[in-house]
Amino acid sequence: MKLNIVCFLLALLPVWLTAQEKLSKLLPPSSPASGILGLQPTTVLAPKSYQALETALFSNFNNNSGSIVPNDFALEFTPYWTQNHSLSVDEYLYPKSSIDQVIRNSSFSIASTQSFLLGDSTLSNALAFGYRTTFYFGNNKDREAVELFTSQLSMDQKVESKIVSEAEYLIENKKTANQKEFMAAIRNTIINAVYESGKYGRLKEAEEFAEDILAKSALIPPLDTAAPDPFLDSLYSLIGQKLSTEIVFNQFKTYVLERYGFSLDVAYAGVLNFPANKFESSYIVRQSFWVTPTYRFKDKLGFLKVMGVIRYEWYNTGYYNSYFNGVKTYENNLDYGLSVAGEFMKFSLSIELVGRKSHSEFPAGNDAEGNALYRKEQNTDFQYIASFNYNLTDQVVLSYSLGNRFEPVLNHHNTLVSLLMLNIGFGSPAKKDIDWEQ
Amino acid sequence: MHKIYRYRNLSFKVPDETEVLLMVEFISDGNLGHTAINVPGSGDSEIENSGSVNIGIGSNLRGDKTTVSTEVANLIPQEDEIRVAYRLNGQLIKEHVNLKSEADKVKIILYIKFPEP
Repeated sequence: MKLNIVCFLLALLPVWLTAQEKLSKLLPPSSPASGILGLQPTTVLAPKSYQALETALFSNFNNNSGSIVPNDFALEFTPYWTQNHSLSVDEYLYPKSSIDQVIRNSSFSIASTQSFLLGDSTLSNALAFGYRTTFYFGNNKDREAVELFTSQLSMDQKVESKIVSEAEYLIENKKTANQKEFMAAIRNTIINAVYESGKYGRLKEAEEFAEDILAKSALIPPLDTAAPDPFLDSLYSLIGQKLSTEIVFNQFKTYVLERYGFSLDVAYAGVLNFPANKFESSYIVRQSFWVTPTYRFKDKLGFLKVMGVIRYEWYNTGYYNSYFNGVKTYENNLDYGLSVAGEFMKFSLSIELVGRKSHSEFPAGNDAEGNALYRKEQNTDFQYIASFNYNLTDQVVLSYSLGNRFEPVLNHHNTLVSLLMLNIGFGSPAKKDIDWEQ
Repeated sequence: MHKIYRYRNLSFKVPDETEVLLMVEFISDGNLGHTAINVPGSGDSEIENSGSVNIGIGSNLRGDKTTVSTEVANLIPQEDEIRVAYRLNGQLIKEHVNLKSEADKVKIILYIKFPEP
Protein backbone atom coordinates (compact mmCIF):
# COMPACT_ATOMS: atom_id res chain seq x y z
CA MET A 1 0.00 0.00 0.00
CA LYS A 2 2.84 2.37 0.98
CA LEU A 3 4.56 1.57 -2.26
CA ASN A 4 1.42 2.32 -4.25
CA ILE A 5 0.96 5.67 -2.53
CA VAL A 6 4.57 6.69 -3.17
CA CYS A 7 4.40 5.58 -6.81
CA PHE A 8 1.18 7.56 -7.22
CA LEU A 9 2.76 10.69 -5.68
CA LEU A 10 5.91 10.33 -7.79
CA ALA A 11 3.77 10.00 -10.89
CA LEU A 12 1.85 13.14 -9.99
CA LEU A 13 4.88 15.29 -9.14
CA PRO A 14 6.03 16.03 -12.70
CA VAL A 15 2.50 17.02 -13.70
CA TRP A 16 2.09 19.31 -10.69
CA LEU A 17 5.48 20.95 -11.14
CA THR A 18 4.95 21.48 -14.87
CA ALA A 19 1.71 23.25 -14.02
CA GLN A 20 3.71 25.74 -11.96
CA GLU A 21 5.61 26.88 -15.11
CA LYS A 22 9.03 26.90 -13.49
CA LEU A 23 12.04 28.29 -15.29
CA SER A 24 15.64 27.22 -15.03
CA LYS A 25 16.50 23.55 -15.28
CA LEU A 26 17.26 21.62 -12.10
CA LEU A 27 20.40 19.53 -11.70
CA PRO A 28 20.89 16.16 -9.98
CA PRO A 29 21.19 16.31 -6.16
CA SER A 30 24.66 17.23 -4.92
CA SER A 31 24.37 18.99 -1.57
CA PRO A 32 27.27 18.67 0.92
CA ALA A 33 24.88 17.44 3.63
CA SER A 34 23.52 14.57 1.55
CA GLY A 35 27.06 13.82 0.39
CA ILE A 36 28.50 13.33 3.86
CA LEU A 37 25.51 11.33 5.03
CA GLY A 38 26.12 8.94 2.16
CA LEU A 39 22.69 9.58 0.63
CA GLN A 40 24.41 10.32 -2.65
CA PRO A 41 27.30 8.00 -3.43
CA THR A 42 29.53 10.37 -5.42
CA THR A 43 32.48 12.14 -3.82
CA VAL A 44 32.63 14.96 -6.37
CA LEU A 45 30.09 17.67 -5.54
CA ALA A 46 28.83 19.08 -8.84
CA PRO A 47 28.17 22.85 -8.79
CA LYS A 48 24.77 23.73 -7.41
CA SER A 49 21.76 24.46 -9.62
CA TYR A 50 20.22 27.96 -9.73
CA GLN A 51 17.26 27.07 -7.50
CA ALA A 52 16.87 29.05 -4.27
CA LEU A 53 15.40 25.94 -2.62
CA GLU A 54 15.66 22.34 -3.66
CA THR A 55 14.88 19.05 -1.99
CA ALA A 56 15.81 15.47 -2.71
CA LEU A 57 14.29 12.13 -1.84
CA PHE A 58 16.53 9.09 -1.81
CA SER A 59 15.80 5.41 -2.06
CA ASN A 60 18.20 2.50 -2.28
CA PHE A 61 17.14 -0.52 -4.33
CA ASN A 62 19.27 -2.69 -2.08
CA ASN A 63 17.39 -2.30 1.18
CA ASN A 64 16.11 -5.36 3.01
CA SER A 65 12.42 -5.00 2.31
CA GLY A 66 12.94 -4.62 -1.41
CA SER A 67 10.65 -1.59 -1.48
CA ILE A 68 11.54 1.79 -2.97
CA VAL A 69 9.82 3.89 -0.30
CA PRO A 70 12.09 6.92 0.23
CA ASN A 71 13.15 7.32 3.87
CA ASP A 72 16.00 9.78 3.40
CA PHE A 73 15.59 13.45 2.69
CA ALA A 74 17.85 16.40 1.80
CA LEU A 75 17.26 20.11 1.39
CA GLU A 76 19.51 22.90 0.11
CA PHE A 77 18.72 26.58 0.51
CA THR A 78 20.40 29.65 -1.05
CA PRO A 79 19.13 32.63 0.96
CA TYR A 80 20.58 35.44 -1.17
CA TRP A 81 18.28 34.77 -4.13
CA THR A 82 15.06 34.91 -2.14
CA GLN A 83 15.14 38.72 -2.26
CA ASN A 84 15.63 41.41 -4.92
CA HIS A 85 18.82 43.48 -4.88
CA SER A 86 18.45 45.52 -8.12
CA LEU A 87 21.65 43.94 -9.46
CA SER A 88 22.52 44.91 -13.02
CA VAL A 89 23.65 42.20 -15.42
CA ASP A 90 27.22 43.50 -15.16
CA GLU A 91 27.15 43.48 -11.34
CA TYR A 92 25.74 39.95 -11.46
CA LEU A 93 28.37 38.60 -13.84
CA TYR A 94 31.32 40.49 -12.37
CA PRO A 95 30.93 40.94 -8.60
CA LYS A 96 33.12 43.72 -7.24
CA SER A 97 34.71 41.56 -4.57
CA SER A 98 35.23 37.96 -3.55
CA ILE A 99 33.01 38.66 -0.52
CA ASP A 100 30.13 39.40 -2.91
CA GLN A 101 30.69 36.05 -4.61
CA VAL A 102 30.73 34.25 -1.28
CA ILE A 103 27.49 35.89 -0.12
CA ARG A 104 25.61 35.36 -3.37
CA ASN A 105 26.63 31.74 -3.81
CA SER A 106 26.37 30.61 -0.19
CA SER A 107 23.99 27.74 0.26
CA PHE A 108 23.08 25.79 3.36
CA SER A 109 21.99 22.20 3.32
CA ILE A 110 20.55 19.67 5.72
CA ALA A 111 19.88 15.99 5.23
CA SER A 112 18.38 13.36 7.46
CA THR A 113 18.13 9.61 7.57
CA GLN A 114 16.33 7.23 9.90
CA SER A 115 18.50 4.31 8.90
CA PHE A 116 21.98 5.22 10.12
CA LEU A 117 23.37 1.79 10.94
CA LEU A 118 25.34 1.35 14.19
CA GLY A 119 27.93 -1.35 14.87
CA ASP A 120 25.37 -3.70 16.47
CA SER A 121 23.13 -3.34 13.37
CA THR A 122 20.54 -1.18 15.11
CA LEU A 123 19.10 1.74 13.15
CA SER A 124 19.44 5.29 14.45
CA ASN A 125 18.67 8.82 13.35
CA ALA A 126 21.34 11.02 11.81
CA LEU A 127 21.30 14.61 10.67
CA ALA A 128 23.85 16.24 8.39
CA PHE A 129 24.43 19.95 7.87
CA GLY A 130 26.47 21.54 5.13
CA TYR A 131 27.60 24.78 3.55
CA ARG A 132 29.10 25.63 0.21
CA THR A 133 29.92 28.55 -2.02
CA THR A 134 31.31 29.04 -5.50
CA PHE A 135 33.98 31.31 -6.96
CA TYR A 136 33.91 32.02 -10.67
CA PHE A 137 37.13 33.17 -12.34
CA GLY A 138 36.33 35.35 -15.34
CA ASN A 139 38.66 35.76 -18.27
CA ASN A 140 39.14 38.29 -21.06
CA LYS A 141 37.29 36.25 -23.66
CA ASP A 142 34.33 35.95 -21.33
CA ARG A 143 34.36 39.74 -20.83
CA GLU A 144 34.48 40.33 -24.57
CA ALA A 145 31.60 37.93 -25.22
CA VAL A 146 29.44 39.56 -22.52
CA GLU A 147 30.21 43.08 -23.80
CA LEU A 148 29.26 42.07 -27.34
CA PHE A 149 25.96 40.52 -26.24
CA THR A 150 25.17 43.52 -24.02
CA SER A 151 25.83 46.07 -26.75
CA GLN A 152 23.79 44.12 -29.34
CA LEU A 153 20.80 43.66 -27.04
CA SER A 154 20.96 47.26 -25.75
CA MET A 155 21.06 48.56 -29.31
CA ASP A 156 17.95 46.62 -30.29
CA GLN A 157 16.13 47.66 -27.09
CA LYS A 158 16.92 51.30 -27.80
CA VAL A 159 15.50 51.05 -31.33
CA GLU A 160 12.37 49.25 -30.19
CA SER A 161 11.62 51.49 -27.21
CA LYS A 162 11.89 54.65 -29.36
CA ILE A 163 9.61 53.27 -32.08
CA VAL A 164 7.08 51.90 -29.55
CA SER A 165 6.95 55.13 -27.56
CA GLU A 166 6.31 57.20 -30.68
CA ALA A 167 3.78 54.73 -32.12
CA GLU A 168 1.79 54.61 -28.87
CA TYR A 169 1.92 58.41 -28.63
CA LEU A 170 0.52 58.81 -32.16
CA ILE A 171 -2.31 56.33 -31.59
CA GLU A 172 -3.21 57.27 -28.00
CA ASN A 173 -3.39 60.96 -28.82
CA LYS A 174 -5.22 60.32 -32.11
CA LYS A 175 -2.62 62.04 -34.24
CA THR A 176 -3.42 59.86 -37.24
CA ALA A 177 -6.81 58.88 -38.67
CA ASN A 178 -5.98 55.58 -40.34
CA GLN A 179 -3.29 52.98 -40.96
CA LYS A 180 -1.89 54.77 -44.04
CA GLU A 181 -1.40 58.02 -42.13
CA PHE A 182 0.03 56.16 -39.17
CA MET A 183 2.61 54.25 -41.22
CA ALA A 184 3.62 57.44 -43.00
CA ALA A 185 4.05 59.18 -39.64
CA ILE A 186 6.05 56.35 -38.02
CA ARG A 187 8.34 55.83 -41.05
CA ASN A 188 10.80 58.57 -40.12
CA THR A 189 10.93 57.43 -36.51
CA ILE A 190 11.87 53.93 -37.66
CA ILE A 191 14.61 55.26 -39.95
CA ASN A 192 16.06 57.59 -37.31
CA ALA A 193 15.94 55.01 -34.51
CA VAL A 194 17.61 52.34 -36.63
CA TYR A 195 20.24 54.68 -38.10
CA GLU A 196 21.13 56.43 -34.82
CA SER A 197 21.53 53.11 -33.05
CA GLY A 198 24.47 52.32 -35.30
CA LYS A 199 23.07 48.88 -36.15
CA TYR A 200 23.45 49.76 -39.82
CA GLY A 201 26.35 51.85 -41.07
CA ARG A 202 24.50 53.70 -43.84
CA LEU A 203 21.29 55.72 -43.91
CA LYS A 204 20.19 53.82 -47.01
CA GLU A 205 20.16 50.55 -45.05
CA ALA A 206 17.99 52.14 -42.36
CA GLU A 207 15.60 53.37 -45.07
CA GLU A 208 15.43 49.88 -46.56
CA PHE A 209 14.69 48.54 -43.06
CA ALA A 210 11.74 50.96 -42.75
CA GLU A 211 10.46 50.20 -46.27
CA ASP A 212 10.49 46.49 -45.51
CA ILE A 213 8.46 47.05 -42.32
CA LEU A 214 6.00 49.26 -44.22
CA ALA A 215 5.57 46.59 -46.91
CA LYS A 216 5.04 43.79 -44.39
CA SER A 217 2.60 45.88 -42.32
CA ALA A 218 0.03 45.27 -45.07
CA LEU A 219 0.01 41.58 -44.07
CA ILE A 220 -0.81 42.06 -40.37
CA PRO A 221 -4.25 42.69 -38.82
CA PRO A 222 -5.42 46.15 -40.02
CA LEU A 223 -5.40 49.11 -37.65
CA ASP A 224 -8.68 49.65 -35.85
CA THR A 225 -8.30 53.04 -34.15
CA ALA A 226 -10.93 52.03 -31.56
CA ALA A 227 -8.93 48.89 -30.64
CA PRO A 228 -5.38 49.45 -31.92
CA ASP A 229 -3.46 46.98 -29.70
CA PRO A 230 -3.61 43.90 -32.03
CA PHE A 231 -2.23 45.97 -34.92
CA LEU A 232 0.49 47.58 -32.79
CA ASP A 233 1.50 44.26 -31.21
CA SER A 234 1.89 42.71 -34.67
CA LEU A 235 3.88 45.70 -35.90
CA TYR A 236 6.27 45.45 -32.93
CA SER A 237 6.63 41.75 -33.60
CA LEU A 238 7.63 42.51 -37.21
CA ILE A 239 10.23 45.02 -36.05
CA GLY A 240 11.57 42.62 -33.42
CA GLN A 241 11.95 39.85 -36.01
CA LYS A 242 13.72 42.20 -38.39
CA LEU A 243 16.13 43.26 -35.64
CA SER A 244 16.63 39.61 -34.52
CA THR A 245 16.18 40.76 -30.91
CA GLU A 246 14.79 37.43 -29.75
CA ILE A 247 17.76 35.53 -31.20
CA VAL A 248 20.31 37.82 -29.51
CA PHE A 249 18.40 37.60 -26.23
CA ASN A 250 18.23 33.79 -26.31
CA GLN A 251 21.93 33.51 -27.16
CA PHE A 252 22.85 35.86 -24.30
CA LYS A 253 20.60 33.99 -21.87
CA THR A 254 22.15 30.65 -22.83
CA TYR A 255 25.63 32.11 -22.50
CA VAL A 256 24.93 33.32 -18.95
CA LEU A 257 23.49 29.91 -18.04
CA GLU A 258 26.38 27.90 -19.49
CA ARG A 259 29.21 30.34 -19.01
CA TYR A 260 32.44 28.60 -19.88
CA GLY A 261 35.60 28.88 -17.84
CA PHE A 262 36.95 27.95 -14.45
CA SER A 263 35.06 27.90 -11.15
CA LEU A 264 35.86 26.64 -7.69
CA ASP A 265 33.41 25.18 -5.20
CA VAL A 266 34.33 25.10 -1.53
CA ALA A 267 32.16 23.07 0.83
CA TYR A 268 31.96 21.79 4.39
CA ALA A 269 29.62 19.27 6.01
CA GLY A 270 29.23 17.39 9.26
CA VAL A 271 27.12 14.45 10.49
CA LEU A 272 25.33 14.43 13.80
CA ASN A 273 24.24 11.01 15.03
CA PHE A 274 21.74 10.21 17.78
CA PRO A 275 22.76 6.63 18.66
CA ALA A 276 20.18 6.30 21.47
CA ASN A 277 17.59 8.21 19.42
CA LYS A 278 17.60 10.88 22.14
CA PHE A 279 18.25 14.53 21.35
CA GLU A 280 20.55 15.10 24.34
CA SER A 281 22.76 12.17 23.33
CA SER A 282 24.44 13.18 20.08
CA TYR A 283 27.87 12.94 18.45
CA ILE A 284 29.55 14.67 15.55
CA VAL A 285 30.49 11.48 13.75
CA ARG A 286 32.52 12.83 10.84
CA GLN A 287 33.26 16.07 9.02
CA SER A 288 34.30 16.78 5.44
CA PHE A 289 35.88 19.65 3.60
CA TRP A 290 35.72 19.74 -0.21
CA VAL A 291 37.50 21.78 -2.84
CA THR A 292 36.04 21.17 -6.28
CA PRO A 293 37.58 22.93 -9.29
CA THR A 294 35.38 22.81 -12.41
CA TYR A 295 36.06 23.70 -16.00
CA ARG A 296 33.30 24.08 -18.57
CA PHE A 297 34.36 24.01 -22.20
CA LYS A 298 32.96 26.31 -24.88
CA ASP A 299 31.44 26.03 -28.37
CA LYS A 300 31.30 22.45 -29.70
CA LEU A 301 32.55 21.03 -26.40
CA GLY A 302 30.06 23.14 -24.43
CA PHE A 303 28.24 19.97 -23.30
CA LEU A 304 31.36 18.82 -21.44
CA LYS A 305 32.33 19.60 -17.87
CA VAL A 306 35.43 18.36 -16.07
CA MET A 307 35.53 18.47 -12.27
CA GLY A 308 38.32 17.63 -9.91
CA VAL A 309 37.96 16.95 -6.20
CA ILE A 310 40.07 17.08 -3.10
CA ARG A 311 38.21 16.06 0.03
CA TYR A 312 39.50 15.71 3.54
CA GLU A 313 37.28 13.60 5.77
CA TRP A 314 37.75 13.30 9.50
CA TYR A 315 36.19 10.45 11.50
CA ASN A 316 35.49 10.71 15.23
CA THR A 317 37.39 7.59 16.36
CA GLY A 318 36.14 7.93 19.95
CA TYR A 319 32.56 7.59 18.71
CA TYR A 320 33.38 4.70 16.38
CA ASN A 321 35.24 2.84 19.16
CA SER A 322 32.13 3.15 21.34
CA TYR A 323 29.42 2.28 18.84
CA PHE A 324 31.31 0.20 16.26
CA ASN A 325 33.22 -2.09 18.56
CA GLY A 326 35.93 -4.06 16.75
CA VAL A 327 35.54 -2.15 13.48
CA LYS A 328 38.67 -0.50 12.14
CA THR A 329 38.08 3.17 11.31
CA TYR A 330 40.70 5.54 9.95
CA GLU A 331 40.61 9.00 11.47
CA ASN A 332 42.09 10.94 8.54
CA ASN A 333 41.02 10.35 4.95
CA LEU A 334 42.14 12.25 1.87
CA ASP A 335 40.16 11.71 -1.34
CA TYR A 336 41.37 12.93 -4.71
CA GLY A 337 40.08 12.34 -8.22
CA LEU A 338 38.05 13.69 -11.07
CA SER A 339 34.68 13.49 -12.72
CA VAL A 340 33.72 14.01 -16.35
CA ALA A 341 30.13 14.99 -17.10
CA GLY A 342 28.31 15.39 -20.38
CA GLU A 343 24.93 17.11 -20.77
CA PHE A 344 22.74 16.17 -23.71
CA MET A 345 19.32 17.85 -23.88
CA LYS A 346 17.22 16.23 -21.11
CA PHE A 347 19.77 13.76 -19.81
CA SER A 348 23.30 13.86 -18.53
CA LEU A 349 25.91 11.25 -17.81
CA SER A 350 28.84 11.48 -15.41
CA ILE A 351 31.66 9.18 -14.44
CA GLU A 352 33.87 9.73 -11.41
CA LEU A 353 37.11 8.07 -10.39
CA VAL A 354 38.34 8.86 -6.88
CA GLY A 355 41.24 7.47 -4.87
CA ARG A 356 41.51 7.52 -1.05
CA LYS A 357 44.46 7.57 1.28
CA SER A 358 43.69 6.94 4.94
CA HIS A 359 45.80 6.90 8.04
CA SER A 360 45.18 6.65 11.75
CA GLU A 361 46.85 5.75 15.00
CA PHE A 362 45.67 2.63 16.79
CA PRO A 363 46.38 1.55 20.41
CA ALA A 364 49.32 -0.88 20.61
CA GLY A 365 49.44 -1.67 24.29
CA ASN A 366 51.67 -0.02 26.91
CA ASP A 367 55.40 0.33 27.42
CA ALA A 368 57.25 -0.86 30.54
CA GLU A 369 56.35 2.36 32.35
CA GLY A 370 52.66 2.03 31.57
CA ASN A 371 52.49 4.68 28.86
CA ALA A 372 50.04 4.02 26.03
CA LEU A 373 51.66 3.05 22.75
CA TYR A 374 50.20 3.60 19.29
CA ARG A 375 50.96 2.23 15.88
CA LYS A 376 50.30 4.20 12.71
CA GLU A 377 48.42 2.41 9.94
CA GLN A 378 47.72 3.46 6.37
CA ASN A 379 45.22 2.26 3.81
CA THR A 380 44.22 3.03 0.22
CA ASP A 381 40.92 2.57 -1.56
CA PHE A 382 39.33 3.39 -4.91
CA GLN A 383 35.82 4.39 -5.97
CA TYR A 384 34.28 4.48 -9.46
CA ILE A 385 30.67 5.43 -10.06
CA ALA A 386 28.62 6.23 -13.16
CA SER A 387 25.47 8.35 -12.82
CA PHE A 388 22.66 8.82 -15.30
CA ASN A 389 20.32 11.78 -14.79
CA TYR A 390 17.09 12.51 -16.60
CA ASN A 391 15.06 15.74 -16.30
CA LEU A 392 11.45 14.54 -16.04
CA THR A 393 10.55 18.24 -16.09
CA ASP A 394 12.75 21.30 -15.64
CA GLN A 395 12.08 20.99 -11.90
CA VAL A 396 12.29 17.23 -11.34
CA VAL A 397 15.42 15.18 -11.94
CA LEU A 398 15.56 11.42 -11.69
CA SER A 399 19.07 10.05 -11.14
CA TYR A 400 20.46 6.55 -11.04
CA SER A 401 24.00 5.69 -9.90
CA LEU A 402 25.84 2.42 -10.36
CA GLY A 403 29.39 1.53 -9.38
CA ASN A 404 31.82 0.61 -6.65
CA ARG A 405 32.21 2.81 -3.59
CA PHE A 406 34.85 3.06 -0.89
CA GLU A 407 34.67 0.26 1.67
CA PRO A 408 31.97 1.24 4.19
CA VAL A 409 32.66 1.20 7.93
CA LEU A 410 30.34 -1.79 8.35
CA ASN A 411 30.14 -4.71 5.92
CA HIS A 412 33.47 -4.04 4.22
CA HIS A 413 32.59 -6.12 1.18
CA ASN A 414 29.32 -4.32 0.50
CA THR A 415 30.72 -1.80 -2.00
CA LEU A 416 28.07 -2.03 -4.71
CA VAL A 417 26.24 1.25 -5.43
CA SER A 418 22.80 1.06 -6.99
CA LEU A 419 20.90 4.16 -5.99
CA LEU A 420 17.84 5.94 -7.29
CA MET A 421 17.39 9.63 -6.45
CA LEU A 422 14.71 12.22 -7.08
CA ASN A 423 15.53 15.94 -6.87
CA ILE A 424 12.77 18.56 -6.76
CA GLY A 425 13.26 22.30 -7.18
CA PHE A 426 11.16 25.04 -5.59
CA GLY A 427 12.95 28.09 -6.98
CA SER A 428 10.10 30.06 -8.50
CA PRO A 429 6.97 31.39 -6.88
CA ALA A 430 3.67 30.43 -8.47
CA LYS A 431 1.31 33.02 -9.93
CA LYS A 432 -0.70 33.16 -6.73
CA ASP A 433 2.42 34.34 -4.87
CA ILE A 434 2.42 37.67 -6.71
CA ASP A 435 0.22 40.50 -5.57
CA TRP A 436 -1.24 41.57 -8.91
CA GLU A 437 -3.13 44.45 -7.28
CA GLN A 438 0.09 46.33 -6.46
CA MET B 1 8.98 34.50 -24.10
CA HIS B 2 7.93 38.04 -25.01
CA LYS B 3 4.90 39.98 -23.76
CA ILE B 4 3.51 43.53 -23.83
CA TYR B 5 2.01 45.18 -20.74
CA ARG B 6 0.05 48.43 -21.10
CA TYR B 7 -0.97 50.65 -18.19
CA ARG B 8 -3.56 53.26 -19.18
CA ASN B 9 -5.27 56.00 -17.20
CA LEU B 10 -2.27 57.03 -15.14
CA SER B 11 -2.35 60.59 -13.91
CA PHE B 12 0.00 62.90 -12.02
CA LYS B 13 -1.07 66.37 -10.90
CA VAL B 14 1.65 68.95 -11.31
CA PRO B 15 1.70 72.80 -11.14
CA ASP B 16 2.69 74.74 -14.28
CA GLU B 17 6.19 75.70 -13.20
CA THR B 18 7.14 72.48 -11.42
CA GLU B 19 9.72 70.33 -13.11
CA VAL B 20 8.87 66.63 -13.45
CA LEU B 21 11.52 64.02 -12.83
CA LEU B 22 10.73 60.53 -14.15
CA MET B 23 12.61 57.70 -12.47
CA VAL B 24 12.76 54.13 -13.74
CA GLU B 25 14.00 51.60 -11.20
CA PHE B 26 14.78 47.97 -12.06
CA ILE B 27 14.02 46.28 -8.74
CA SER B 28 14.54 42.64 -9.68
CA ASP B 29 18.06 41.36 -10.38
CA GLY B 30 19.66 40.88 -13.78
CA ASN B 31 17.59 43.18 -15.98
CA LEU B 32 18.88 44.88 -19.10
CA GLY B 33 16.65 47.57 -20.54
CA HIS B 34 15.96 50.87 -22.24
CA THR B 35 13.16 53.43 -21.76
CA ALA B 36 11.94 56.04 -24.26
CA ILE B 37 9.64 58.88 -23.19
CA ASN B 38 7.45 60.85 -25.63
CA VAL B 39 6.12 64.11 -24.20
CA PRO B 40 3.81 66.63 -25.89
CA GLY B 41 5.87 68.80 -28.24
CA SER B 42 9.62 68.48 -28.25
CA GLY B 43 11.80 67.24 -25.38
CA ASP B 44 11.57 63.46 -25.76
CA SER B 45 14.12 61.63 -23.64
CA GLU B 46 15.59 58.21 -22.86
CA ILE B 47 16.88 56.25 -19.88
CA GLU B 48 19.29 53.34 -20.09
CA ASN B 49 18.57 50.64 -17.49
CA SER B 50 17.68 52.28 -14.14
CA GLY B 51 17.89 56.06 -13.90
CA SER B 52 15.99 59.31 -13.97
CA VAL B 53 15.41 62.16 -16.42
CA ASN B 54 13.78 65.58 -16.34
CA ILE B 55 10.83 65.43 -18.76
CA GLY B 56 9.87 69.13 -18.49
CA ILE B 57 7.68 71.50 -16.47
CA GLY B 58 3.98 70.96 -15.79
CA SER B 59 2.68 73.49 -18.31
CA ASN B 60 4.57 71.75 -21.15
CA LEU B 61 3.06 68.38 -20.29
CA ARG B 62 -0.62 69.36 -20.62
CA GLY B 63 -2.93 68.23 -23.40
CA ASP B 64 -1.65 65.01 -24.93
CA LYS B 65 -0.81 61.97 -22.86
CA THR B 66 2.87 61.27 -22.33
CA THR B 67 3.90 57.75 -23.36
CA VAL B 68 6.67 55.82 -21.67
CA SER B 69 7.96 52.63 -23.29
CA THR B 70 10.43 50.33 -21.56
CA GLU B 71 12.05 47.25 -23.11
CA VAL B 72 13.26 44.86 -20.41
CA ALA B 73 15.06 41.53 -20.76
CA ASN B 74 15.94 39.42 -17.74
CA LEU B 75 19.03 37.33 -18.22
CA ILE B 76 19.85 35.58 -14.97
CA PRO B 77 18.62 32.12 -13.98
CA GLN B 78 18.29 32.84 -10.25
CA GLU B 79 15.67 35.57 -10.79
CA ASP B 80 12.01 34.55 -10.97
CA GLU B 81 10.33 37.84 -11.84
CA ILE B 82 10.67 41.16 -13.63
CA ARG B 83 9.84 44.06 -11.33
CA VAL B 84 10.13 47.68 -12.42
CA ALA B 85 9.04 50.78 -10.50
CA TYR B 86 8.14 54.12 -12.12
CA ARG B 87 8.27 57.27 -10.00
CA LEU B 88 7.37 60.88 -10.77
CA ASN B 89 9.11 63.37 -8.46
CA GLY B 90 9.72 60.50 -6.05
CA GLN B 91 6.11 59.34 -5.98
CA LEU B 92 5.38 55.81 -7.17
CA ILE B 93 2.95 55.88 -10.09
CA LYS B 94 3.26 52.25 -11.21
CA GLU B 95 5.10 49.13 -10.19
CA HIS B 96 5.12 46.51 -12.89
CA VAL B 97 5.66 42.88 -11.96
CA ASN B 98 5.43 39.70 -13.96
CA LEU B 99 6.75 36.20 -13.43
CA LYS B 100 9.48 35.12 -15.80
CA SER B 101 7.54 31.94 -16.44
CA GLU B 102 5.03 34.26 -18.14
CA ALA B 103 7.60 36.41 -20.00
CA ASP B 104 11.32 37.04 -19.54
CA LYS B 105 11.45 39.77 -22.20
CA VAL B 106 8.78 42.43 -21.90
CA LYS B 107 7.56 45.76 -23.21
CA ILE B 108 6.01 48.01 -20.55
CA ILE B 109 3.98 50.93 -21.85
CA LEU B 110 2.59 53.71 -19.65
CA TYR B 111 0.15 56.46 -20.68
CA ILE B 112 0.32 59.40 -18.29
CA LYS B 113 -1.76 62.57 -18.07
CA PHE B 114 -0.38 65.61 -16.26
CA PRO B 115 -3.41 67.70 -15.16
CA GLU B 116 -3.21 70.88 -13.04
CA PRO B 117 -3.67 70.34 -9.28
